[in-house]
Amino acid sequence: MNAGVRVRTGGLRSFVARRLLLGAAQTVAVVLLVFALTEALPGDAAVALAGDQPDPARIAAIREAMDLDRPAYERLADWAAGLTHGDFGTSLASGRPVSGYIADGFGPSLLLASLTLALLVPLGFGLGVLAARHEGRLVDRLVSGVTLAVYAVPEFALGVLLVTVLALKLAWLPPTAVGYGTDLLAHPAALVLPVLVLLSRPVCSLSRLVRAGMVDALASPYAAHARRYGVPGARVRYAHALPNALAPAAQQLARTVDWLLCGVIVVEALFVIPGLGTVLLNAVAERDVPVVQGLAVVFGVLTVVLNLGADVVAYRLTPRAGVAA
Amino acid sequence: MTTKATARSARRRRSRFALGLGIVAVPLVLALLGPLFTGDPGPRSASFTLGGGHWLGTDFVGRDVWRQVLHGGRTVVLTALAATALAYLVALPVGLVSALTHLRRLEDVLMRPLDVLLAVPSLLLILLVASVFAPGAAGLALLVALVNVPDAARIVRAAAGEVAARPAVEALRMQGETWWRIAVGYVGRSSLRTLAADAGIRLTGVLYLVSTAAFLGVGVAPDAADWAVMVDRNRTGLLVQPWAVVVPALLIVALTTGTNLLFDAALEKTPRTKGRRP
Amino acid sequence: MRNSTDPVAEIRDLRVEIDGRAIVDGVRLRVRPGKVTALVGASGSGKTTTGLALLGEYPPGATVTGEVLRAGDAPAGYVPQHPAAVLNPARRVSALLDDLARPQVRHLPRSERRGAARELVLRALADAQLPDGEVLLRRHPHQLSGGQQQRVVLAQALLLGARFVVADEPTTGQDALTKSRIVQQLAAVAARGIAVVLLSHDLDVVRALADEVLVMRDGRVVESGPVRRLWSAPRHEWTRRLLDERRPVPEGGTSPDAGPPVLEVRDLVAAHGRSTVLRVPRITLRAGECLAVVGRSGSGKTTLARCLAGLHRDHRGEILLDGTALPRSLRHRDRARLAAVQYVFQDARAAFDEHRAMLGQVARTAVRLRGVDEHTAVREASAMLGRLGLAGDLAHRLPGELSGGELQRAALARALLARPRILVCDEITSGLDTVTRRALLDLLAGLLGERDDLSLVLVTHDLDTARLADRIAVLDAGDLVEQGPAQQVLTAPRHPFTVSLLEATAHLSSGNRSRAGT
Repeated sequence: MNAGVRVRTGGLRSFVARRLLLGAAQTVAVVLLVFALTEALPGDAAVALAGDQPDPARIAAIREAMDLDRPAYERLADWAAGLTHGDFGTSLASGRPVSGYIADGFGPSLLLASLTLALLVPLGFGLGVLAARHEGRLVDRLVSGVTLAVYAVPEFALGVLLVTVLALKLAWLPPTAVGYGTDLLAHPAALVLPVLVLLSRPVCSLSRLVRAGMVDALASPYAAHARRYGVPGARVRYAHALPNALAPAAQQLARTVDWLLCGVIVVEALFVIPGLGTVLLNAVAERDVPVVQGLAVVFGVLTVVLNLGADVVAYRLTPRAGVAA
Repeated sequence: MTTKATARSARRRRSRFALGLGIVAVPLVLALLGPLFTGDPGPRSASFTLGGGHWLGTDFVGRDVWRQVLHGGRTVVLTALAATALAYLVALPVGLVSALTHLRRLEDVLMRPLDVLLAVPSLLLILLVASVFAPGAAGLALLVALVNVPDAARIVRAAAGEVAARPAVEALRMQGETWWRIAVGYVGRSSLRTLAADAGIRLTGVLYLVSTAAFLGVGVAPDAADWAVMVDRNRTGLLVQPWAVVVPALLIVALTTGTNLLFDAALEKTPRTKGRRP
Repeated sequence: MRNSTDPVAEIRDLRVEIDGRAIVDGVRLRVRPGKVTALVGASGSGKTTTGLALLGEYPPGATVTGEVLRAGDAPAGYVPQHPAAVLNPARRVSALLDDLARPQVRHLPRSERRGAARELVLRALADAQLPDGEVLLRRHPHQLSGGQQQRVVLAQALLLGARFVVADEPTTGQDALTKSRIVQQLAAVAARGIAVVLLSHDLDVVRALADEVLVMRDGRVVESGPVRRLWSAPRHEWTRRLLDERRPVPEGGTSPDAGPPVLEVRDLVAAHGRSTVLRVPRITLRAGECLAVVGRSGSGKTTLARCLAGLHRDHRGEILLDGTALPRSLRHRDRARLAAVQYVFQDARAAFDEHRAMLGQVARTAVRLRGVDEHTAVREASAMLGRLGLAGDLAHRLPGELSGGELQRAALARALLARPRILVCDEITSGLDTVTRRALLDLLAGLLGERDDLSLVLVTHDLDTARLADRIAVLDAGDLVEQGPAQQVLTAPRHPFTVSLLEATAHLSSGNRSRAGT
């Protein structure tokens, strides 16, 4: 996302300041949005949330737990104040604090996400540079074709197909992470398929962008000029062309955060990994609104922060054309 | 670009287009025409069996998988198409107006809220709503459209903004042309190519989101005839009856990949063949 | 030992073909050290292809026959029309130069290489007349002025030890002061014993710089020889025509003093954002008069033109048409007032809708601004285009299928169809080659002669073009420094800036290489 990049005359500091302001506004908006959605329930929220078991005792319990008798703005103020010191409220289903749910699921999700990111950058750049180096030849057509094809495939479809072939037919890898608990690092084999599936979409988009940026830069007059003056090919590629492909790639990494989050939810469901995604899906199924709200805030704020960082990095890396007065 | 190189790249493009069309045709024909060719549901058999008059076996509640496959594509395809159309219905006017207006404040009013909405991950927003309401197919289409509006509006704004900054727009204003004629007849028309490319990318993104939501149980009944639901529900029998999972999964892969290949080949920038006269 | 006058590069019978069409045909050329060889011709004459062939570069897919020889593989430099295009935007100036210095210090021990390379870089910058090299090295290309960018590109060539430099249209679209600076720089390069190959359609610059001239047309060299001989006794008919186009522009008549002014500008102060870019206390324009607004780029001349046309709203002060104030913005001008002030854009190609045929686009003016019905409008447009030299088939083409000169004529036709009182022309001849430019100016002079109710505002950086005008206003850095009858401003300028502009122009056209730019 490049909101606020429109005016770029003010230099890095003012850009960061404006971007921080937007980030703060987005954080507030996420909190408000999450709260408002539950407020938007038609009729009596407690009756609606009770769902399939509308017995009066349960409705009263929900009303009690969510303080539905108090006016909305008071509840919002309380909830928001609680958020600032890590109090996300209590679960409707179990009565446990929401922060406990988050703490439980955080480990596996963080492991998945960081493993994926750590592999994503070298893989994405490597494939992109490889394809750009051999532009128009077999390697390029192969890489471009596969990345284009895989780019659009939903994780769950790719995931079950990989499980069918690699885990069930060939029995190389375990089909799910059932029985390994939260200590996934002790069972690296169980992580291979989830990370592979998580990587599929971001790697494709990143490598396509790097390839496009490199191909453009290699065809530019300045690359031709460098070659004309005898600068060696490798140096033209890595010192002249690659820096010009970095900024769009950094932008794309920011968008990847969104995908990674969607991916984590799906992959956890698919491979039965007890992370935040599983917690969220269970809460959605049980209509456990406080848990959903808490997780939504965590995910939302995480996205805002990561986007902000990527935007600042991209701004630093963006080459500027033109002439000074 | 010489004629030979142009011819070669055109040939490659045609073959990729044909490949995309071929891949997407199978799931698309099944999705749109499948329901016409199914008979009565027939009696239920045991769960996850193979054979016994069932071409692809039976599913988790003993229904014929082939019949479910024939029925299961329509919702995905139609929901995705509706969501994409709906997203553009909002994004086009918002993006065009904010690109063409001279009032910075109007632009801010139109675009800033969308920047904020962009910060929320799309699947999260859908799950959040699903936890409170139980949206049907129409609700899912609406939701998916909503999460696509901010990005689509920004693309429209950027494409139209680039065109609107050209001297041609000022020349049209000097000729006394109306706002509508400039906005639709020139700016809209000149941005069409960029927008078509974006629509292609967006449709694949929407297909992804609609099927993933269905897989997670949003917008569909738990026993619905839907390829994504089939993948989810029949996973438990993967060892004994893989067809109930593999066939719908393959169809979804073909649908998304084919759409992507098709649009990519159709909208690839062609090198200008009409040269400028010196 | 090589003789000091042996050519450093040579082209023998070069023929470059693309898709069976010859772009360059039978060209012979010798590049001698310390000499300036100019290739002259309109765009499309094959001079750029010939120049790049010297560097060993050809258009993709070209079939090449003939020989290009470089003495001992002499390194060659290249200065493009837009220097920014060859400077990598993502890298600092130091990195751009260091890449070229590194191979030259490879024989030194590793620890000394860095310092030695730095020294080479700084010397090259100083040789390219960039004395404060240390500061520049830390900058990115976009932080340099156009002149600095060009000098950095020259420094690269010097650092490389280039034996000859190919300069492609280095002065196109520049004002006289910038032009003479570039001429002086290339002259300094030649003075170092480096050969210069100048590709240009700017005959003043060629005359000021060149020793040898090759006149090209349709890929062939039609005439070549020493610059003096060529100028005094051209042999080929095309050379004569080219030189003939340099005859002085028809001078404007004396200002019609009778009658009240059609247009009057009072206390105009225009701003871009927070900075003020233009201050004009008073300018007037009478019916039938031509006013030239002259200035360098960034002087505010285009902003003045845009204020008049209602395209730049951010200004204070008054613009009066027949004594009544014109609304600041186009949107508040009614049909009659829109038609009264028409504007012709610098970039004609960008000013047309590339999807629609020319005739239809031009005709819309009559429909919208004069309320004429569609059929009549098309007939009028067709007649107007015909009068401006775009008859028949040309009018029905898409903008992409017309040349720069043809597009500019179509743009004039589009504006004239409104029957304007005032026609504002913003640099409409810059970027056109000499022959096309000349034809367009003749056309404008003709229009002025025919219609005494039409007044012209001619925005230009070029004093030669300004000769067409009755009166001239000179802008410098946003200030109106001088205005008066053209005769007086051109012969007896009062302001020092006008004086320097005139001197630079005079030195260029007198062909004096050493004094230009002083």
